[in-house]
Amino acid sequence: MSNNKQHKINSYLTFKLGEETFAANVSKVLNILEMTKVTKVPKAPPYMKGVINLRGAVLPLVDTRIKFEMTPTEFTPNTCILVLDININGESVHVGALVDSVQEVIELDDSQIMPPPSIGTRYKSEFLEGVAKIGDDFVMILDMDLIFSTDELSLLKESVNEEQQQEQGNVG
Amino acid sequence: MDNFRNKFIEEATEHINDLEGTLLLLEQDPENKELVEKVFRIMHSLKGGGAMFGFERISEFTHNLENIYDLVRNGEMFVSKDLLDVTLAAVDHLKNLLDDRKSELPQTLDVHQNLLAKINNILESKNAIAITKDINKDKGSTNVTSAIASKTATYYILFQPNENIFDNGTNPLYLIDELYSLGQAICIPHFNRIPDFDKLIPTQCYTYWEVILSTAQPFNAISDVFIFVEDECHIDIHKLSDYNLLENNEFYGFIQQALKSSNDIGIDNLQTLASRINASIMVKEKKTDDRLAVSKENTISSIRVSSEKLDVLMNLVSELVTTQARLSLFAENSNNNELIAIAENVQKLSRQLRDIAFSIVLIPIENLMTRFQRLVRDLSQELKKEVQFVAEGTDTELDKTIIENLTDPLLHILRNSLDHGIEEPAIRVKHGKPRQGTIMLKAFYSGANVHIQISDDGAGIDTEKIRQKAISKGLISPDAVLSQKELLEFIFIPGFSTASNVTEVSGRGVGMDVVRRKIADIRGEVEVESKLGVGTTTTIKLPLTLSIIDGLLVKIHDTFYIIPLSSVDKIYAAEHNKVVGTFNQLIVLDGQQIPFFYLRHEFELEENNAPLEQVIVVRYEDKRIGLVVDSVVGEYQAVLKPLGKYYKNQEIISGATILGDGTIALVIDTNKAIKYFAHKYKVEEVK
Repeated sequence: MSNNKQHKINSYLTFKLGEETFAANVSKVLNILEMTKVTKVPKAPPYMKGVINLRGAVLPLVDTRIKFEMTPTEFTPNTCILVLDININGESVHVGALVDSVQEVIELDDSQIMPPPSIGTRYKSEFLEGVAKIGDDFVMILDMDLIFSTDELSLLKESVNEEQQQEQGNVG
Repeated sequence: MDNFRNKFIEEATEHINDLEGTLLLLEQDPENKELVEKVFRIMHSLKGGGAMFGFERISEFTHNLENIYDLVRNGEMFVSKDLLDVTLAAVDHLKNLLDDRKSELPQTLDVHQNLLAKINNILESKNAIAITKDINKDKGSTNVTSAIASKTATYYILFQPNENIFDNGTNPLYLIDELYSLGQAICIPHFNRIPDFDKLIPTQCYTYWEVILSTAQPFNAISDVFIFVEDECHIDIHKLSDYNLLENNEFYGFIQQALKSSNDIGIDNLQTLASRINASIMVKEKKTDDRLAVSKENTISSIRVSSEKLDVLMNLVSELVTTQARLSLFAENSNNNELIAIAENVQKLSRQLRDIAFSIVLIPIENLMTRFQRLVRDLSQELKKEVQFVAEGTDTELDKTIIENLTDPLLHILRNSLDHGIEEPAIRVKHGKPRQGTIMLKAFYSGANVHIQISDDGAGIDTEKIRQKAISKGLISPDAVLSQKELLEFIFIPGFSTASNVTEVSGRGVGMDVVRRKIADIRGEVEVESKLGVGTTTTIKLPLTLSIIDGLLVKIHDTFYIIPLSSVDKIYAAEHNKVVGTFNQLIVLDGQQIPFFYLRHEFELEENNAPLEQVIVVRYEDKRIGLVVDSVVGEYQAVLKPLGKYYKNQEIISGATILGDGTIALVIDTNKAIKYFAHKYKVEEVK
């Protein structure tokens, strides 16, 4: 799913969901908006927050925290909307993603990006492009295309059992 | 060069489509000269373009066809069915020739030779007649030249040199020569001023001339002839006519007579004569002029714009409309009269701009009809059936992308009707039906949708057959009770075909499922109704995605909604406790019991405590249903915007629009919403 071309840009935007730091390749981020008025669409799944007016266009808004199985986003002055350019089956679709706060843009060499660990994270590894260590923090680099094109509700691993099995498999 | 080639292909495709349509019209009305003329013209441009861009086959091919239609045009040949058959086959062939991939295929070349031979046959068979009528043809062609020549105007020039003109070395005869070089001229010299011989001074000029000149050159070119002698002579130039009068017998005779007598003709005499002749020529020319005008209109009445540009235009216009709404709102609140006036002007302009922009991307389904007519014509011949195709409401307009995606499904449905629907003439007569079957295509607006119905008066679908087939395929158990409608649904299942014999045309089991999928891609629905022995009707319901709808702006909680005005019947105010907490979801309005849905409940919002609720009664199928909202704001013209892929499962809301203050209002699809709510209650009841 991940497109090789995008790796040519080595800039990543980091943002926070709760206490965890994530990063997205800047080529996926079109815009960062302050929180604006959201129109709720009835009968939509909970992670679909509604729609916003982006300069005359109607932009769907996803509560990223719910996608990551956190509590719904509480609006603070730091809450931001990332306008993302998501590739769904070869088609470019724009979507807004709510994040708790936007941090900075960092440069990462491919050599600095480690493959996602199969243990130690709560998230399914296919949604991660990799992990990078910045200072004392680990930043999870997300595959935005995959995360925002999947209908799967949860990005978390299926169950603890499965995790254990995997662990055993890895050890064995 | 490639670029030009592509342009040519694009243009030629349009020409060919145009040609096809014209030919089909010609079949209905073989006497119509204008149509023949048009066919000829299209052939001609195809020939020219083909030769220029290296499509030699096209050019060679159309050359012969052009010859045939030239004969038709000159009345030496008649539009026969054979001729149309060959021409239509040729049209198909031309399409293949345009396609690089197909043009070199052996079968294409076979067809090429075959058709060329047929065309030559037609040409030769008519040659005998053609020769005898050759004279006629010549006459025809001179008519054409005279039409071109008539672009020239006729002037009267009086050239009276001063007596001393020779003094500076001017030879007046050279000037006359120069006039002759401009066009067709007749010169009348006048010698009446020459004095008696004894008084004559040989170094002086006594002669003067009257010249009638027909020329395509502008007036200035004539006066320029005399530019160096202006001061030494008297010159009078008058335009007599916009036509070449020297070709007119009456005028010519008049001049010849004037030549014999040595009297001055005089401008006055000439002008009265000229104006009389002008009038008569004008009447004659009007017809050809009209024709020329029509063809001219055809060439410049449209321009080619890439659809990408149109998309950008649409987006910009939508943004402009939204911004304008904001401006109006701001102006109203500002109490600044000047600003309000400006805002009103902007509003007027942007509304016009919006209407134009929207109309640009909408095209009438008329554009599809040629292909359909052609299909029905060819296929009914092949199947030996007699079918007439009737189209109604072809001016119904749809978004261009919808039209593009509509062609294949519609063609498929038509093929089905022709192949399975309409019976052979003998069978029809036996069943007491007219020999000729009818396939009717009807397009019309219905609420926020466009409906396209294709109905035939054929055999209909045997639902019992479907049932058997479904049982044999293990889709239903033999004792299952299914309604007609449910049984008809089976034809949309992939691989399900009731046709016992597979034909060229249809019945391979890839069909209606593809139709439904393709229509679903453009957010439409397909339904089939059929009565055995009476006929089948397929209805396609399409949304008017990219369009403005007249809506009713309402508010529920803190959200604005738009209900398409087309489905709204009436609005009532109702007391809160009449609509909340009732058992049967019925309210009595105007003495009628009307089922209703309290939208706050449906949208999972808490009840509000306002004393009054608004009941908006909308039409749903043939029933009236109430939708209860908090308040009605008013009418609103909504630019519909899709909610996008992320809400593709969201059926109740068909789109959104942006209000003047930037707030988003959601557009309710009343049909789907009511269907959804009703279904939910049904399920609850069962539980």
